[in-house]
Amino acid sequence: MSDTPDRDAMLELVAAYALGVLPRSEHALVTAYLLADPQARAEFEALRPVADLVGLAAEEPVDSGRTARMKQRVLAAARTPAVVSASGTARRTGGERSSWFVGAGLAAAAAVVFAFVSTIQNFSLRSDLANANSRAASLQAQIAQNERVRMRDREMVADLIATDAQRFPVPQGEVIKRGTHVYLTLHSLPPLPRGRVYQAWTIAKGGKTLAPSIVFTPSTAGNAVVALPENAEALAVVALSVEPEGGSKAPTTKALFVRPLT
Amino acid sequence: MERVRARDPVAFEHMYDAYHRLVFGIALRMLTDTTTAEDLTQSVFLKIWTSPDSFRDGNFNAWLSRVTRNRALDVLRSRAAHMPVEIPADIPTEGNLDDIVFAKIDSQCVRAALAALPGEQRALIEMGFFGGVTHEEIARRTGVPLGTVKTRIRSGLRRLRADLQSAVSR
Repeated sequence: MSDTPDRDAMLELVAAYALGVLPRSEHALVTAYLLADPQARAEFEALRPVADLVGLAAEEPVDSGRTARMKQRVLAAARTPAVVSASGTARRTGGERSSWFVGAGLAAAAAVVFAFVSTIQNFSLRSDLANANSRAASLQAQIAQNERVRMRDREMVADLIATDAQRFPVPQGEVIKRGTHVYLTLHSLPPLPRGRVYQAWTIAKGGKTLAPSIVFTPSTAGNAVVALPENAEALAVVALSVEPEGGSKAPTTKALFVRPLT
Repeated sequence: MERVRARDPVAFEHMYDAYHRLVFGIALRMLTDTTTAEDLTQSVFLKIWTSPDSFRDGNFNAWLSRVTRNRALDVLRSRAAHMPVEIPADIPTEGNLDDIVFAKIDSQCVRAALAALPGEQRALIEMGFFGGVTHEEIARRTGVPLGTVKTRIRSGLRRLRADLQSAVSR
């Protein structure tokens, strides 16, 4: 194979992305690489459908009772799109139980039983409904959170590959500045002992002292793409050091680099 | 799919009959819980019914597999910390030659191709797809060095592709 070791390492990340096992911390790195390298994109497009087809290995016969039940649910829900699974199931089950009780008769004793069981049933239905509402709220929150993360990722990738981005080389990577955003893209960072993290530092324009910025831990492979929270237009210098977990107010070790943004 | 796009309920029912085993199978393998797998199956088919245009063209089997996996990852995401990023179901591709070739692939063919892989490659690929974990987590769980995990996944996918291509051409 003619690929260099670095290229091989990147293509292995591309394969991991195709299979869907890439950690979020390496997403921006691989996405930017795919956008910039046609050969990597071709590799991704060759492996992605193969990875998707792995799912076919899970296709199994489903017993006829389950098939019929699931089909009834899907088709019923498709006919009434506003009704979703959990509450739909609860309503249907309730209707079946109610009809059973209607047929039970009008005797007083039966009425007492009816009232008693109905109370339990209503409690059960309310509990089902509460669970369904809670689950729906949780899923909505999860979807909103995922959407925020996707938006941030998209914005970051756009900044990282922009031709008008300013790039400042540092050992093992670059500081990238675009508009008000500033990023560290680093690779092959040495693993840190337990209880230690990398911490970014900044010096504001006209300032003289390092101010603490974000702390981060690179991926196991030593990669990190980090967005600093500061306004890039107000910064004169970005630096990096190794600090105790949780970060420090002032550097406690020698900086790995101090990079003026000029 | 064209008839489903045209809101034909009979076509939708036929689609359900043809593909529910795949969707339920992936969901059950990933979630290991029949009730949640049933819910997820319903959710995937309702997504197809309400947003049929989310499938543009290409290999429907592969697209459906990815959509189901992404939905199952959403469920798993609420249970675990080490989650991979999902690949968008509508990510654009430049050609559809593979889609045409691989459209002939069925589950038996995929199982045979997976079985032909060296065991150490097959295990990592299956754990990655169905386990919904990152390659780092795979390395941690199996005790295999991360670099080896990455190499085996890439080699395994490349070999799987070659085997599926040769199976189609036979």
